[in-house]
Amino acid sequence: MEERMMYFIRRRNKLLVPIIILVFLFYFMLPLSLIFLPDVMNQTSFIPGITWAWLYAFLQIPMTWTVGWIYHIKAKKFDEQIEKWEREESV
Amino acid sequence: MNLTYFLFFICIIVCTLIITYWAAKRSNTTNRFYTAAGSLTGYQNGMAIAGDFISAASFLGIVGMIALNGYDGFLYSIGFLVSYIVVLFLVAEPVHRLGKYSLGDVICSRFPSDRMRWIMAIGAFSISILYMIPQLVASGYLLRLLLDIDYSISVLVIGGLMTIYVVFGGMVATSWVQIVKTVVLMSGTFLLSLIVFSNFNWNVSALIEKVKGGTPLGENFFLPGHLFNNPLEFFSLQLALVLGTAGLPHILIRLFTVRNTLEVRRSIISSTWIIGLFYIMTLVLGLGTVALLGYQSLTNADPTGNLAAPLLAKEVGGDFLLAFVSAIAFTTIVAVVAGLVISATTAFSHDIYHHILKKGKSTEKEQLKAARWTALIIGLVSTLFALRLETINVTFLVSMTFIVAAASNFPVLVLTIYWKRFTQVGAITGMISGLVASLVLVVLGPHIMNPEDGWIAREAIISLHNPGIIAIPIGFLGAYLGTIFSSKQSQSDESYTRFFIKSQTGISSRRESS
Repeated sequence: MEERMMYFIRRRNKLLVPIIILVFLFYFMLPLSLIFLPDVMNQTSFIPGITWAWLYAFLQIPMTWTVGWIYHIKAKKFDEQIEKWEREESV
Repeated sequence: MNLTYFLFFICIIVCTLIITYWAAKRSNTTNRFYTAAGSLTGYQNGMAIAGDFISAASFLGIVGMIALNGYDGFLYSIGFLVSYIVVLFLVAEPVHRLGKYSLGDVICSRFPSDRMRWIMAIGAFSISILYMIPQLVASGYLLRLLLDIDYSISVLVIGGLMTIYVVFGGMVATSWVQIVKTVVLMSGTFLLSLIVFSNFNWNVSALIEKVKGGTPLGENFFLPGHLFNNPLEFFSLQLALVLGTAGLPHILIRLFTVRNTLEVRRSIISSTWIIGLFYIMTLVLGLGTVALLGYQSLTNADPTGNLAAPLLAKEVGGDFLLAFVSAIAFTTIVAVVAGLVISATTAFSHDIYHHILKKGKSTEKEQLKAARWTALIIGLVSTLFALRLETINVTFLVSMTFIVAAASNFPVLVLTIYWKRFTQVGAITGMISGLVASLVLVVLGPHIMNPEDGWIAREAIISLHNPGIIAIPIGFLGAYLGTIFSSKQSQSDESYTRFFIKSQTGISSRRESS
């Protein structure tokens, strides 16, 4: 039973671990780019009137919402898998 | 105080007391008192989390910071928001599955001992109190500035209300006060944002042009670097902000107030939507303040910029809107401090009284009585402290709370859940090193050691205002060293696997309860 559970958890984490690493990278690249690339960040981005610094800071908000949504979908699937497996076990 | 202000305040006080009366009839068991018996839905809890999290410092402070410093003020909000992804991915579901009422329950589900519970209770208690005192002190100043009420009366009213909510209504009252606060806060800031835009005929470019004219920074207002010009300080703050929430006991205990992990996820995700939208609106309010009021009027009224939102409200909506915004600020404060009182109460009455002093054998009636008395004493003592601290600058305690949480609770929580080799000694050394490092670094830093107005009139030994970048690694290092230098504990690999599976799936708990 435990091996099967660990298999499910590992499979889920294979996806979630890279996502959280990417979130950290995306988040910490903002202060780092402001520290090390201030000139680039102060240039106007592809949206007229918006600099890269503002665009990057704004993007953190939809990033948070999107990543939360991805987690929710994945976690729901994981719960269903576990429930299905539990039902099979109890039969 | 004029009649409009008075009516708004009375309305809020009466509404929240009605909620407390209704909740008091439902808080007759410890489960209801500490966690509202898991009766909240995910969306309700999401609103309560937002209400618990968005402090007066967020509402008034960030609007002011954006108005004074432009871009850098907005960066604060980003750290606060992204921190919820850390909570969601790493700790939210395991905390719900492993704990019952407190963070002590979570850690003790792997390392059951009185020592471990003591440490966790002291950690949760000190974080909650450290956060509560500056909130109370700020509330005193704020109401004095806004309404010309005496500092002591303001603190007594807010301290009294928070104590009444928790003593009589427990988590049910606290949650609903926080939900009402979120509704009032979001609708108020939304209304104010619309009024700001309408003043510029819904033309964002016109607003931006006016902002450039209203600030001495001119064009540079929209460029980074006006608040954070020390790169290390800046990075350190961002680190503490993003990791701190996952160690804040008053936020994490809210995860016990829903019935399952689906609702836990809904709670966190809905709170990120509320908090994200709120911070977008604070940006509009900050820009609106500079555009419509100008830098000079703002700093003349209050050099810290904390009065930006109320002054903007007065400018665009007269006394009525100012009264409304002041009432929002008032609700914001009471909702946050009530959340902190219940968090400190749980740490003391559940962890220390019930588990340690009574060895887990106190009756339901005794536990409830202890919880109410603890809440009363915590409320009274914090209010008395806040009254005494009128003339002392304690605002640094707010940022320190995030550092302490990120350096002590966060490493211990994460390592307990995910590190197989982790030991109880490691958990204890991690908590102690994180707590002590944060306190020492703050004492040696410019908040306390300052030749001009510091508690210690000397040059600071550590130049960082936010020493998270040193304290957080020390917390992790303390936990790591404590683990590798302690003998491998009796807990077998098999029992960790069972614990881990429970934390990730809830399986064994389901079996146990069935």
